[in-house]
Amino acid sequence: MQLHNRLRTTSSLVAGLAAIALVITGCASKGGGGGSTAATSGANGSPLIIGASVSLTGDFSDSGKAVQRGYQLWADTVNAKGGILGRKVQIKIVDDASSPTQVVTNYQNLINKDHVDLTFGPFSTLLTIPASQVAKRYGYAFLAPAGGGPDVFKQNLTNFFFVQPAPTTQSGDVFANWILSLSPADRPKTAAYAELDDPFSAPIAENIRTKFEAAGIQTVYKQVYPSETQDLSPVMAAIAAKHPDVIIGGTQSVDAYAQIKALVQLKYSPKFMFQSNGANSPLEYPNKVGAGNTTGVMSSADWFPGSKASGSDAFTADYTKKFGGTAQQVDDNSAEAYATGQLIEAVAAKTGKLDNATIISSLHSGSWPTVLGDLSWGANGAPTGEFNLVQWQGGKLLPVYPSGVSQAAPVFPKPNWGG
Amino acid sequence: MHALIQGIILGVLTAGVYALMASGQTLIFGIMKVVNLAQGAMVILGAYLSYQLFTSFGIDPLLAIPITTVAMFILGVAVQLLFLRPLKAEDRSELSLLVTFAVALLLEGIMSVTWKTSVRSINTGYANSSWTVFGYQITLVRLWAFLLSIAALLVLYLLLNRTRFGRAIRATVQNPESARLLGVESSRVSALGFGLGAATAAAAGSVYGLLYPFNSGSHYDLISRLLSIVLLGGLGSIGGAVVGALIVSTSSAVVASAISPSWSEMTFFVILLLVLLIRPQGLFGTTARGAI
Repeated sequence: MQLHNRLRTTSSLVAGLAAIALVITGCASKGGGGGSTAATSGANGSPLIIGASVSLTGDFSDSGKAVQRGYQLWADTVNAKGGILGRKVQIKIVDDASSPTQVVTNYQNLINKDHVDLTFGPFSTLLTIPASQVAKRYGYAFLAPAGGGPDVFKQNLTNFFFVQPAPTTQSGDVFANWILSLSPADRPKTAAYAELDDPFSAPIAENIRTKFEAAGIQTVYKQVYPSETQDLSPVMAAIAAKHPDVIIGGTQSVDAYAQIKALVQLKYSPKFMFQSNGANSPLEYPNKVGAGNTTGVMSSADWFPGSKASGSDAFTADYTKKFGGTAQQVDDNSAEAYATGQLIEAVAAKTGKLDNATIISSLHSGSWPTVLGDLSWGANGAPTGEFNLVQWQGGKLLPVYPSGVSQAAPVFPKPNWGG
Repeated sequence: MHALIQGIILGVLTAGVYALMASGQTLIFGIMKVVNLAQGAMVILGAYLSYQLFTSFGIDPLLAIPITTVAMFILGVAVQLLFLRPLKAEDRSELSLLVTFAVALLLEGIMSVTWKTSVRSINTGYANSSWTVFGYQITLVRLWAFLLSIAALLVLYLLLNRTRFGRAIRATVQNPESARLLGVESSRVSALGFGLGAATAAAAGSVYGLLYPFNSGSHYDLISRLLSIVLLGGLGSIGGAVVGALIVSTSSAVVASAISPSWSEMTFFVILLLVLLIRPQGLFGTTARGAI
């Protein structure tokens, strides 16, 4: 899931610069081969080259490397099966140092100089926006595994596909839907919202609040805290004093841990506890809040260890074989990148073609199986599905809703801390 | 009302930790007129050291304090001898800002290479325990942190007021020339004083690591807070550092709890601004060289 939020106002400047650069390089590359014609199924036997700019250094490098692992793992898997339509897949990855200007240069080069057949997306909304515009200019399909902030979809690009079940700010809607599916007697009556002030965290909680208030769940506390807030104890103390049935944390990571620690120390355990991010990290969360305190906490996820989605078992096995570790240590960014490749494979299998125009038109209709579940998109590339509701039970993060993916029944009311 | 009182409890308990960090900061300023911008980085280094001792050897962070303070004392002395002593006395105050900032960046770099940049926290068995008193929660870690900080401040007080070394420090603070005439070797006092400041950072770091998650970049937030505390209390006054820490910590906790977390930092800066308008030297600062 998208964890980074560096959406700055520089993006419009970057877009302007990108446009100038596009004109220049566009002129210089006559006969370079537009994306719509470069990757045709007629080029049988020659390798299928997929270019991607990924943040291997800089702010997003941890997540960027996870994306790289996902792309590479998918290519290796496909090649072991003989490639796609008889063509071996080559992933060409260049580093953008987490820079929105470098990412533009990189995609320019990949398309005009390296003449890659297809392009995959970078990491973060900040980089996806300028990158997707370059791809659009050359008629390339742009499948992006990370970069689902609201501004991406405002571009209304028809070549763009966000490879996750739903736009990032709607990832918490599944929790609201589950709560509203409960009988009125079981439903919470009062809710408290503690939201991190960033473009991804607070909007997730706000979307839930809108649904809850419409359904008559009373808001007893709502505060947005700045990202530099070090101590969340006073905020959680104020929440505990209101005794809400449900606490919704619009969280990122460190603040999610701090919320739980503060609640444990304040000895306040709500009937329902949801955190948008942080709580969905199988490895970090129990380590940071104490394994006993995880029980009953809910979050949302697209991929999770033990997922029954298409190809997930093979993905997990191949990932742990290639990179070591356990299924719990698989980064969901890798799964999202892997799913991006699966989509190409699925389009090729269905249409027998691999050109950008076919990919764009195919993905705009129907739903497509991936390790993240079946995906489908609206006209602007916003996915139309929903995330999975996951809950910590017995030290494990399990999908509990919707029923199609659930592996356990949701536990509520949440057991007390430590249990 | 409940949230307000709980906020005050949290604020007062947290104040101890900040008082400890700020006392080292203000001590260094008192002795050398050096604003140590590396104090925050030293606190974080102290936190990492106790994190390492806890994860590798199972040593409780509070029990690790004697080890980390000695290590950081030596580091502090080394920093003073290597980087600050070569500066000429007349422009030491100005240049020390650059030098100590460089030290902060150096420490940050070393820490991010050694421990990477992912966020660490020290999770002891008692990390989330608390006592219920009249319906209010007293967090055990914060209480320990508070008591320990009081104890460390007491040790510092005794050291400054009951030992020859302390007398030498105070003499240097009040009048370095006279102190030198009376046989106090001010350069040695400076080195040891800087070491002492670093040692308080180590003690505070252990406690800080218990309370908050941290990484190598955490020192930026910390140093701005510390500078505000010592400015509020008055540069060079340890009592002022304690009072400043109490005001900072309690006001931000109370405002976050009773009004809004967005206003909590702001409130403190308003207080700081008002105090500086009325008393530019801070609450307990003196305009000339004074006592610590």
